[in-house]
Amino acid sequence: MPGDFAIWIFIFAELLVFGVAFVTYSVVRLQHLEMFNHYQLTLNRAFGAINTALLITASYFVVRAVQSIHHDRVRQCIVWLYLALGCGMGFLILKSLEFHQKFSHGIGLGSNTFYMFYLSLTFFHFMHVILGMIILLAVAIKAKQGHYSAQNPVGVETGASYWHMVDLVWIILFPLVYIIR
Amino acid sequence: MNRLYNVHTLWLVMLALTLSTYLMGRLGLHGLGIVGFLLATSVIKGTFIIRDFMALRGVSLLWRVIMYGWLWGVCLTILLCYWLGVRSW
Repeated sequence: MPGDFAIWIFIFAELLVFGVAFVTYSVVRLQHLEMFNHYQLTLNRAFGAINTALLITASYFVVRAVQSIHHDRVRQCIVWLYLALGCGMGFLILKSLEFHQKFSHGIGLGSNTFYMFYLSLTFFHFMHVILGMIILLAVAIKAKQGHYSAQNPVGVETGASYWHMVDLVWIILFPLVYIIR
Repeated sequence: MNRLYNVHTLWLVMLALTLSTYLMGRLGLHGLGIVGFLLATSVIKGTFIIRDFMALRGVSLLWRVIMYGWLWGVCLTILLCYWLGVRSW
């Protein structure tokens, strides 16, 4: 397994939680089909699609960072990591705008079942993006301090694995909550 | 990875699939076939991430079963729930 084995236990646990949440959303949607279809139209699908592109691009940059460290190109690795962080920041800004739009219309967790799921799932994922960015930033700083090389890429691989998990989850969350009706 | 199958082309394919997902939502397309297609694109993107971005291509079968099992399990359950919804509509 690439990276530290402990991160994979964490990743499996996170995937289990998100998996249960997605299945719960689908089952509850069955009982409130009209409501879910109606309120889903109020979501900003363009923001959702751009955010998907940002996360996929960030993941691509992280892959390039891992490739760079495997070739002992530390400076390149750091640049790719900061580019990925830039995409992550773009995601956070767009998502914050989306949350602001909803909150300014008085929409909250208690508004209805659809918004409860929408806000819970996306905010929970939002927190994971923040954690992923903190990890990538820590990896970039440690890389600059000379902690990683082609002989010791484990730290970069560990951060990368976590970031890819965040991307993987969003790839299902986006069509499930924003598109499928 | 060869000239066509590499992380650069996978990235572009995933962006194109994301665009197709968005356009389907924008056009208001729905139905079991459309949802099946949307979830198939999610499975394709997820497979690229697990196999090529996470670099789990050569790891032991157990870890691959867990990762691909999660991806397929979640997507098939969503599809099943959608199908039940269509039937009861």
